[in-house]
Amino acid sequence: MTKSQKNRIATIARYSILTVWALIVAFPLYWMVSTSFKPGEQWFAWPAVYIPDPWTLTNYLDVWTGRQELATSQYIISAQRPWIALGNSALIAFSATTLAVLYGGVIAYGVSRYRMLSEVRMFQLLMLRMIPPIVVVAPLSLYYSALGLLDTWIGLVLIYFLTSLPYAVWMLKSFIDEVPREVEQAAEILGAPRWRTLLEVVLPLVRSGLVATFLFILILTWSEYLLALLLAKTEVVTLPIELSKYQGSTEGRVYGRQAALSVGITIPLIIIGVIIRKHLARGFSFGMIRR
Amino acid sequence: MSSAVVVPAPGVPLAPRELSRTRAVKRFKWAILAPLIALFGGVLLPVLLLQLYFSFHQWTVYLGTWQEAEWIGLDLFKEILTEPRFGWSILRSLAFALGSTIGCFLLGFALAYLMHKPFRGQAFFYILFILPMLTVPIVVAYTAEMLLYESGPINDMISRLSGAEYKVAWLSDPDIALTTVMLLEIWNWTPFSFIIMLAGFASIPKEPIEAAHILGASSWRIFWEVQLPLLRPVILLALVLRFLEAMAEFPKTWALFQGGPGSATETIPVYIFLTTWQYFEVSKGAALSYVAMMLMIVIVLVAIRLLRREKRALDAMHVAARPGE
Repeated sequence: MTKSQKNRIATIARYSILTVWALIVAFPLYWMVSTSFKPGEQWFAWPAVYIPDPWTLTNYLDVWTGRQELATSQYIISAQRPWIALGNSALIAFSATTLAVLYGGVIAYGVSRYRMLSEVRMFQLLMLRMIPPIVVVAPLSLYYSALGLLDTWIGLVLIYFLTSLPYAVWMLKSFIDEVPREVEQAAEILGAPRWRTLLEVVLPLVRSGLVATFLFILILTWSEYLLALLLAKTEVVTLPIELSKYQGSTEGRVYGRQAALSVGITIPLIIIGVIIRKHLARGFSFGMIRR
Repeated sequence: MSSAVVVPAPGVPLAPRELSRTRAVKRFKWAILAPLIALFGGVLLPVLLLQLYFSFHQWTVYLGTWQEAEWIGLDLFKEILTEPRFGWSILRSLAFALGSTIGCFLLGFALAYLMHKPFRGQAFFYILFILPMLTVPIVVAYTAEMLLYESGPINDMISRLSGAEYKVAWLSDPDIALTTVMLLEIWNWTPFSFIIMLAGFASIPKEPIEAAHILGASSWRIFWEVQLPLLRPVILLALVLRFLEAMAEFPKTWALFQGGPGSATETIPVYIFLTTWQYFEVSKGAALSYVAMMLMIVIVLVAIRLLRREKRALDAMHVAARPGE
């Protein structure tokens, strides 16, 4: 066998394996999207219906506008609920993420330039993320109810801020470490105060890192389920919780509508994730991998 | 590497200007850390104390206020440490985490290996392959239900491909349920191992591989004797972080199974959840949480030890990959 034949076989093998995995990845997503366009009787058909026939927008209209006349069930979907949940999710995720990135950035700067936290402390900070929240959420909910934070968006913002802080600090530190120190030293020699150096010299240089970190943490807070379920679920409902309410509905399964809502929850994350795809490895590895 | 901008050489007396500068840095440092310390003192500490309180007092929501709960000492701990149900949930969690971590890793590693050299369509496959990780876990769970119920499309496809009618009870057979969640976890998080390993392959210095090629080594030998050893820190990172996340998995397990059928999917988080929010045994839930927390702290400390060691190797690799820094 010549070398070029060998290469050809290797190429074919590579594309076949990748295609198989691509199908495994794509099929559930395709099923979610296609179900969201299926009329009610095709949600559970056996044999399964692979392509909606006819394609319909009913599910989207039912879920997102509360349109009732075509609804096949008695289950009343309030028109505002998904939008309120969307608003809550956006408000909570954006506030917590903004706080985490701002504060995390300041800590990261201090650690990178002034060794404010030793390496051991930095790793201890990781425990905030690594210990599963379920082990503290029961006393936390009691504490929250004593403080009046239970079922409020401030309560969720606070806990999301705390749990995403390790990601923010570590990821931003990895970005700040890459900025050459000489620029700051020059600013310092020129007599610029430390805060101004941070705001006007360092921050602009790590702008893309800040954006990547922000979007990365947004993905995590947007999809969080456990804390949103246990610390707030009646007054303040986030999108994942709103979705889970369809599951418990008395009507049994309303797959089409679940799918229509799922598509709405997922699309923003996929857009964000694709934008920062080059930074995802850095994010998930707490900045330990920098590519 | 070092940030020795402000650290004076030891033994050298400081000039007054230097002294005020050191002080200013110290002030700066405490100003930055104060909110963090306040958060620890104001949120985490009280929560941990409350947990301790509940672990030693018998209280459920049916009894009056929790301040009047009865002191029962170590009874709860005796109860949970001797009950098989908790033991099983720990074993289940470990099995789930190990199985899904290994599954994610092997798949992610294989994909990264196939994709680490540029080829046509690389960007397309990369974007497609990261999608599961960007899908909200709860959405994964509900979509899985649409796919896996007994007359669902997965069974339909298995039936069509095999010619016989299969109706695998993915969601209701106690023998399969944990595997189902594991497969979902693998689908959901293989992208994590994939992107980490892909970054790992990218950061391997080219010279040793080229040298081995020139010396006539086969790609197989190069893989085992050059690439794999160089990838060790990245591999450990991918395994450790994934394992920790898998130990905490809750949304998919809960949304699909609530611990059932029977107790087939009752992992530690699910058992704590059931005890506290379904049986309302807050005290027992707190004691369970406490033991689970201790277990997790031990695991996390081991993980951190590993990560610290490997981080040095990673940092060195990072520098080696970009000479001239």
